[in-house]
Amino acid sequence: MSTISRRRQEWERQVALAQAARPSRLRLAWQELSSNKLALVGFVIVLLYCLVALLGPVLAPNYATQVLNDARLAPLTPGHLLGTDDLGRDMLSRLVLGVRISIAVGLGTTAIALLVGTVAGMIMGYYRGWVDTIVNGFVEMVWGFPLILIAVLMVGALGPGLVGVVLAVGLINWAGFARIIRGEVLVLREREFIASARALGTGNTAIMVKHLLPNVIGPALVMGSYYVAVAIIVEAGLSFIGMGAQEPLPSLGKMVADGRGYMLVDHWISTVPGLAIVLLVLGLNVLGDGLRDIFDPRLRER
Amino acid sequence: MIADGGVALSVSDLHTTLAFRDRSVDVVRGVSFSVRRGETLALVGESGCGKTMTALSIMRLLPDPPARLTGGQILLDGRDIRSLPESAMRSLRGEAISMVFQEPLTALDPVFSIGEQLVELIRAHRKVSKQTARNLAVEILKEVQIPSAETRMRDYPHQLSGGMRQRVMIAMALVLDPSVLVADEPTTALDVTIQAQILDLIKTEQEQRQLGVLLITHNLAVVSRVARRVAVMYAGEIVEEAPTQQLFDNPKHPYTQGLLRSLPSASDERHYLYSIPGRVPDPRALPPACLYAPRCPFAVDRCWEEHPRLVGRDTGPLLRCWNPQPFSRIEEIERSEEQRQAATAE
Amino acid sequence: MLRYLGRRSAYMALIVLLSSVAIFYSLRFAPGDPTGVTLNPLTAREAREAYREHLGLNRPVYEQYLIYVGRLVHGDLGTSLVNGSSNLELLQFYGRNSLVLGLTALALSYLVAIPLGILAAVKRNKWPDQLAMGGAILGMGIPNFWLALILVYFFSLNLNLLPAAGCCSPNQLILPAIVLAAEGTAVTTRMVRSSMLEQLRQDYVRTLRAQGLPEWRVVGRHVLRNALIPVISLSGLRLGWLIGYALIVETIFRWPGAGFLLVDSVIRRDYPVAQFFSLVLVFFVVMANWLADISYGLANPVVRRA
Repeated sequence: MSTISRRRQEWERQVALAQAARPSRLRLAWQELSSNKLALVGFVIVLLYCLVALLGPVLAPNYATQVLNDARLAPLTPGHLLGTDDLGRDMLSRLVLGVRISIAVGLGTTAIALLVGTVAGMIMGYYRGWVDTIVNGFVEMVWGFPLILIAVLMVGALGPGLVGVVLAVGLINWAGFARIIRGEVLVLREREFIASARALGTGNTAIMVKHLLPNVIGPALVMGSYYVAVAIIVEAGLSFIGMGAQEPLPSLGKMVADGRGYMLVDHWISTVPGLAIVLLVLGLNVLGDGLRDIFDPRLRER
Repeated sequence: MIADGGVALSVSDLHTTLAFRDRSVDVVRGVSFSVRRGETLALVGESGCGKTMTALSIMRLLPDPPARLTGGQILLDGRDIRSLPESAMRSLRGEAISMVFQEPLTALDPVFSIGEQLVELIRAHRKVSKQTARNLAVEILKEVQIPSAETRMRDYPHQLSGGMRQRVMIAMALVLDPSVLVADEPTTALDVTIQAQILDLIKTEQEQRQLGVLLITHNLAVVSRVARRVAVMYAGEIVEEAPTQQLFDNPKHPYTQGLLRSLPSASDERHYLYSIPGRVPDPRALPPACLYAPRCPFAVDRCWEEHPRLVGRDTGPLLRCWNPQPFSRIEEIERSEEQRQAATAE
Repeated sequence: MLRYLGRRSAYMALIVLLSSVAIFYSLRFAPGDPTGVTLNPLTAREAREAYREHLGLNRPVYEQYLIYVGRLVHGDLGTSLVNGSSNLELLQFYGRNSLVLGLTALALSYLVAIPLGILAAVKRNKWPDQLAMGGAILGMGIPNFWLALILVYFFSLNLNLLPAAGCCSPNQLILPAIVLAAEGTAVTTRMVRSSMLEQLRQDYVRTLRAQGLPEWRVVGRHVLRNALIPVISLSGLRLGWLIGYALIVETIFRWPGAGFLLVDSVIRRDYPVAQFFSLVLVFFVVMANWLADISYGLANPVVRRA
């Protein structure tokens, strides 16, 4: 074998090796997420909370609303891992149920808002014309509105309780998703791959679902993480001032309020649910940042 | 400054390194050239060959990290500018050596008028009043043939056409009378008709001010219009350098020959467009000796064993090749290739 | 520019109109009515009915709405069913307090967020950046009511430095203003930082450096001005959120502002007050967005000269 062919083969092998080292897109995403330690922590935290929410009653040893008069304000004991509150109820059980409520409200409302918003955004961005003008009119109106104001009014209309809060969050948050999706669709629909799909005779719905959806869902998921956090904070805040969850529901916000009067005596009653909320929201925000880094490499700050 | 014929910019053995996550790669490897006053040197090559990096290295504008100037000497009007502290270099930029970039819309700050930007530039280097600076600005705008220069001062970049924006960029580069102008693809983003105007403007200014111009481009047509000498770059190295006409008439390096061959020509009887086979080498896996060997039709054993050096006389053509062949041989190869393809098609 | 403004203004007017309808209807939708609160529970049926008639509560809702609008146009803003003060008087007192709190919180948040964001961007990935971003994430994560609780615990109950509630001395303003400003500051800091980083990547920065401009001018004049434009356009949204959070913060600290009054009147079913102040707050949100839009139009020459 001549020098050229031998050397050349060697070199080509090196090139192949260097090229093969480039991982697939999914692997890249996973690498990105795992290298971002903070985001990973956030992901784990959120996962843990979801698990707690799912397993719920199984984890709560004592019925959360069972009042034990002789065990009020008890500190940590084997029977009550986190102590009891002012009415003698087991803190751990209440905490678990409280997490359940927060996750349910947060994820539930956001899931619905994501669904409605995505559909609306896609239709607006894809069809444009008068559909876009009208629906976008709604979106612009709703989007800038402070959630809490609407929630208070909802409570005014429907009476105190979680229903009002959930409705308010649902009514407002879909607009945020719609806006983002619409923006992304408007840009993407001009790309060649859409035109070629249309030229091949693909139906509109098929185009939207198969081609547009996978590309636009990324930024929406990023916002989703933040929106879940917002929903949880709003619910907790309203429950705190008495307009949200009512007795005997152990909403985390309400639990913090309940312990307010006892801060100097046993701050644990407020601190525990408070920390629970903080940790969950922090986890969600950090996860959102991590998702953003994955889905929007332009924004990634290297 | 130095009279006509003096060397305005001299670059020797320039090395620039780019640091990736796991390794460092040399993107400019031992580049040397000089630009005389009143002369245009064109630096030609495909995208990714390192020509923009070279320009940024000379200006010391490399984004650090990840890029770093790691070797070589840069002399501006005989002065070593590589070892200067940043503050000293900063006062030279815009005043002794200027740069014009490719995309004028994004290269200008969108929230300030062009007059404001010009005045700011002037006053950053000279202690003059606002009025004096403004007058200077209007003068230079007139010089680059911007109509109604006075009123244009208040315009914002987005209000001007592409060609006008590039004229403004050139005005900004020349207002303080530098010795050297580095133009990085100044016409690539413009319409063809405007391209000619801008090139002529650069040429006129060069003659009037005895400027040394380093013109970076991948477009050979541009080169033939304004450059006196051409240096061809491949994978971070200069592979050939010669006076323009000589390069076009008698290209020596196989890469240069390939480039010229791939220019579409109306007088051709060819049935297809020639393109150099293969791709620019991946910096992570470079060929062991001559970097062009994998794509070269004339490669011999030595090309895979020993890295060729740039040889030639100082004022004459330079060449980095072990086995240069006359230009006509490329045509022969092409023809036989054409016949072979026609044969297999049948 | 004018066309842009005209469109935004029409939008805003429409929003206010629709909101007034929505507010009106939703309040009357709920079970119970003001008579339950304002009248002695032992009042006889007939007297209660007569009172309802007097308040016009038996008419169809749209009629009530039209009467309401009619009165508004004539300057009759309504009177509280609970204590008889006119809405105008209430506005002067409670509105003023909200403005004080709100403006203080707003000023605080921008005065902290902008320099901090700039610092974080300029010293990217070094310790000032890590610290600022860590603080920002915390600020976003800690719910304002919990922050309030903690601050009160430390500064009022333990250290006895600041009052825990009430109005209107400067001392009493400190804690509520900090709590109200917290979330907005965190979000704005992140926004400023990412906007600055985005601008620092732009081509014109390279041009300016190639022209030999000193770095402080490049960053402080050019980059900053470009970076603040999206921050301005989002300020309307920020203000909206501020108004929303004020409802909670005022209630916690018993700061007698419009938010506090709104929450209170909703609970008590004091229709005239609830309606009016909802409308006032909506109007403020709309105003804030409108002003933000104008500022954005002025700051961005591409829009200004369009």
